[in-house]
Amino acid sequence: MAVDITEKLAALLGKADTVKILVTTDEEGAPHAVVKDSLRLDEQHRLIYLELLESSRTNKNMVRSIWFNRAVAVAVAGANGESYQIKGKPVKAIVSGPLFRKYYQQIREQCDDADLAAVWVIEPENIIDQSFPVRRRQEEASHPYFKHLDRLAK
Amino acid sequence: MSFALKQQPSELSFEEVAAKYPQFPRLVMLKTDIQRRGVYYTDRALSVADPAIHQLAGTHIFGTRDGILTHRPEAFILRDGTSVLTSPTPLEENPYIVDLCDGRLVLLDKGQEIEEIEYWTKPDYYNLTTSTGVPMSHVASARPQRIYIMPSRYCHFWSDNQGCLFCDIVNNLKQQKSELDLPPKLKPRDVAETIKEALKEPGRFTAICLTSGSDFHGGVPFDTEVDYYIEILQAVGENFKTAKFPSQLISTAFTEKQLARIYEQTGILSYTPDIEVLNEKLFAWICPGKARWVGYREWKQRLIRAVDIFDRGYVNTCIVAGVELAKPHGFTDEDEALKAVLEEAEDLASHGVSTVYTVWVPRPGSYLRGQKNASLDYYVRLAAGLHELRKKYNLPIDHDDYRRCGNHPDSDLGRLL
Ligand code: SF4
Repeated sequence: MAVDITEKLAALLGKADTVKILVTTDEEGAPHAVVKDSLRLDEQHRLIYLELLESSRTNKNMVRSIWFNRAVAVAVAGANGESYQIKGKPVKAIVSGPLFRKYYQQIREQCDDADLAAVWVIEPENIIDQSFPVRRRQEEASHPYFKHLDRLAK
Repeated sequence: MSFALKQQPSELSFEEVAAKYPQFPRLVMLKTDIQRRGVYYTDRALSVADPAIHQLAGTHIFGTRDGILTHRPEAFILRDGTSVLTSPTPLEENPYIVDLCDGRLVLLDKGQEIEEIEYWTKPDYYNLTTSTGVPMSHVASARPQRIYIMPSRYCHFWSDNQGCLFCDIVNNLKQQKSELDLPPKLKPRDVAETIKEALKEPGRFTAICLTSGSDFHGGVPFDTEVDYYIEILQAVGENFKTAKFPSQLISTAFTEKQLARIYEQTGILSYTPDIEVLNEKLFAWICPGKARWVGYREWKQRLIRAVDIFDRGYVNTCIVAGVELAKPHGFTDEDEALKAVLEEAEDLASHGVSTVYTVWVPRPGSYLRGQKNASLDYYVRLAAGLHELRKKYNLPIDHDDYRRCGNHPDSDLGRLL
């Protein structure tokens, strides 16, 4: 089930200094994590990822995901400590047509040597705020035993 | 009218086959089943096929199941980028249905929505004509990422009544000539101009493919065919700054000397002489022209020898899968047929030659019209078997994969390799 990306997260994804890591899995379920600056949102707030290398491990894993309904994850880290994890599924691989052409031209303008293999569309299914203050508050609320006693001492 | 393509009661349904082979991608299985059963476009679906945007049927080398050539989408694409080249099929033959629901193009089976689809988009050059006045869409047809040139639409095996039994090329040519005014033989200049325009479209094409009917004329049989390919490929090559370019020649099996000539004088990078059926006895029956002029064993040997020129994996051959079960001389048991085909494919693979398949469509213009193609279960096992052979023998299939071609369920699986 698709979930909405908040405006705050959308803004973070759009910032130049935000780090975005795409995590896919191979046939054996082994993770493969790669920094992907090209990750962005489309008008429907779905994640768009531009694959430049057709034979890349990520591209193969994305194909495996769309074929066998397997999730991928995107870790998003902002310069001010913001941190999110977006879990989702690839729902479309665009390999031709007007949208492909648009992104192809963008890529070619940025780098004379680059090619475009596919425009992947990832539908977000779960968004977790991973920033430390948020996670700590959650843990304290749900696991009161998970702490060292000296922190509670008078 | 034949009803032969209707699913037989004993055959497993799509869902049953999908449940039986969970490790086989469902979308590739769906493509295979659509190709097996054909497709029917509703009026609503056709109403959104816009000639200004979409690629409508035009220059197919082979005909359709319903005998109508024009005004339908050429093919469509699934959401994973899988192309589905399929023939419009009369409703009474139980095809999948393409319909328009809530503004979306969808594929239906038994009234249920299966998948959303998109029509192929038309390339820019389809709006242009060559300096001799030929519409460029008649010179080269486009797939989502490939330019497809058919220099000659005539196969000389037909003049001796020795055309392949599944083939309707010449009957289709007659129809295309009268209905679409297609040139039966292309001029190299028209080809050069068309490719020049096609390459102006950013990101549109990744490969060029050439195919024609066979022509046994010449000092050595097929020299005429070879000479013509060289002329056309040189005209194509004028447009590239590199000597070689991603390309595929689908043709007759030539001698080493002929092949060396093509390789040395043109930019061609891969070679696909289609053997059509991987069984000597059936080859003699189904492909009488190829059997007479080359022969099954020699065809295989020519494939193997071509590896010395093009390298491992860049020589492959296509089979018309399911035709090995054609009546009255074909296999009567799918298990036996599959075993025999995969054994032969393995023999080729062990020598660096890969095999791909297209789903046999018993077209009305062919000798084998009205017959039934194989079960979905058969096609799934065949695709998986051919894919496994490529894995086992480490054979790339980049030149004939989901993107450079899009018509072989087995090479679609190469996206995982
Ligand atoms: S060689 Fe066979 S399949 Fe090819 S065009 Fe001639 S008759 Fe048709």
